[in-house]
Amino acid sequence: MKQLPLFPHSWQRIGYIVLPVFLAIGIAYLFFDYNIPWLQYKHDVKNIFDFSDNNFTDELASLGMILSLLLIAFSKEKTEDEMIQFIRLESLHWAVYANYFVLALSIIFVYGGAFFHVMIWNMFTVLIIFIVRFKYLMFKYNKSNQ
Amino acid sequence: MKNKIKIQRAIYNLTQEDLAKKIGVSRQTINTMESAKYIPSTVLALKLAKELKITVEELFQLEKHD
Repeated sequence: MKQLPLFPHSWQRIGYIVLPVFLAIGIAYLFFDYNIPWLQYKHDVKNIFDFSDNNFTDELASLGMILSLLLIAFSKEKTEDEMIQFIRLESLHWAVYANYFVLALSIIFVYGGAFFHVMIWNMFTVLIIFIVRFKYLMFKYNKSNQ
Repeated sequence: MKNKIKIQRAIYNLTQEDLAKKIGVSRQTINTMESAKYIPSTVLALKLAKELKITVEELFQLEKHD
């Protein structure tokens, strides 16, 4: 049976370890205007690619969160068989629906600057909803005894 | 769809765990297949039939509502 392309099982742990770090940086940046000093970029040359005076804290936090969520979501389970892959695809399907439902509600009810925050969280919600749904179904699956 | 996995397993005195190891799935997958909550792929059905020394048609049978 053709397997879905997934990361090795042990990588999941890396995801769980680094996620809180990047989440903390992200929250500190978003709500407390925290910038990591050594990620400050400054130069004088002006051209079309010029992004002088930018701090890369938000870029680091976003990429770090995406990477760690991907590791948690798409690392193999201990015995990754076809039924688990079925649960995986079903959870992903469910997560996409749930995500766009929440986004649709936000489009209707959230305006102006607050909507910008919705879009920031929306970068991660598909993965977060998928992980919650998949782990919940796996919990039920593991409990299904005779 | 009904199946005779549990019966065949009993004939050969195999636990769910034994059968799971032989065909390379987890024990819970055997359990959900026995209770017809999960319909296996053709590949897995053939592996099961081979291990339980029975044909696929005998191991799995369609029901009226299928």
